[in-house]
Amino acid sequence: MTTTDTEKPVTAKDAGLAVCHDCHKLVDFRNISASTLSCPRCGATVHLRYKGSLNNTWALVITAAILTFPANLLPIMSVEYLGQKDLSTIMDGIIYFFQSGSYGIGAVIFTASILVPCFKIIGIVLILLSIHFRWRGWLRHKTVMFRFIKFIGRWSMLDIFVIALMQVLVTFGSLSTSGAGPAGTYFTGVVLSTMFAAITFDARLLWDS
Amino acid sequence: MLACPDCDLLLRKVDIAPGAVSLCPRCGRNLDNPKKDSIDKTLALAMSGLILFIPANFMPIMSLNILGMEGSGSVYTSIIAFFGSGYFFVAAILGLTSLIFPFVKLVLLFTVSICLKIKLYPTFLGNLLRCHHHLDEWGMLEVYMLGILISIIKLHHMAHINYDPGFFCFVGLLIVALSSSSAMDDHLFWELIEKNKTYGT
Repeated sequence: MTTTDTEKPVTAKDAGLAVCHDCHKLVDFRNISASTLSCPRCGATVHLRYKGSLNNTWALVITAAILTFPANLLPIMSVEYLGQKDLSTIMDGIIYFFQSGSYGIGAVIFTASILVPCFKIIGIVLILLSIHFRWRGWLRHKTVMFRFIKFIGRWSMLDIFVIALMQVLVTFGSLSTSGAGPAGTYFTGVVLSTMFAAITFDARLLWDS
Repeated sequence: MLACPDCDLLLRKVDIAPGAVSLCPRCGRNLDNPKKDSIDKTLALAMSGLILFIPANFMPIMSLNILGMEGSGSVYTSIIAFFGSGYFFVAAILGLTSLIFPFVKLVLLFTVSICLKIKLYPTFLGNLLRCHHHLDEWGMLEVYMLGILISIIKLHHMAHINYDPGFFCFVGLLIVALSSSSAMDDHLFWELIEKNKTYGT
């Protein structure tokens, strides 16, 4: 693949074209005043740039940042052993693993439940700020980071899946039961809003400035 | 001509050999990587995925024994348990991402590839492929698999764990579902659909 112009890169927008994000077909926007068209190949709505992309992404990423607090401060899991109820937050669970010597699994859960959500929120905010303040450096790195954020989004659900399994596996009548806690809802909210934030963000905006 | 979906750079389309990858020179995005026998492979893998789907999700994954008391769980019962404990939102997301979306993805992939295989091009084919594209990141079988592994490590010193048929079916389903998605050649599928399109714009 070669660029059509080696002096100054030509974007599809400059040429009056836009790429369909569903089927990657180039759609002709010349002589058309509308900012959206229906893709002739797959029927998806093609945008020169997503409408309201920055606002939507900001809204979702702020939602995620707010939900992070109840998700981490409230108990996510409750274990009842011989009638004694023990509530634990995400961090409690990780500390328990480290204390009992399971460093590997503690690190995996720490990465999936704490590092990844924080990285996603900080990363998206950084990208948004760099568009607002026109920081033009590191564009390629920022795009790679954005693709990485999109890719790791789903892995944060790990803790919820583990709790769901423990709930059915560790039920021994009155001896010991394991259940979910209220933080589960907020935590799922964090994962969903960061995933949607990555979907509504139009990476092409990074390169426009 | 084609444009990079991530940085909008306009590029000349070049044909590359199956197995090779073309990357955007500006932002490094993977633009095209044609695959060999894409339709056949996708069809075979999606079909095996559908066969494995029911046992993988409804048969018990593992059971454990503590002091003579037994607990066992499948993907399905773990979702139902979440509904039972009153966290409907979490349970719904769990059900969608670990059960419904992976199933819908397999059905869509199966339908699209069998249509392309027998050279039948109904008008809704493009819509099916679009649905698959949008569901791509919402099927979370591999995350569930990691969840199973973590549960095993968490419980193995507490109790004796028996791996039930569901476990092996789930591992099989995961492998097949992941490779069916990666066997699919987006460009080829879209080009075939476009070439045989019978309806107007």
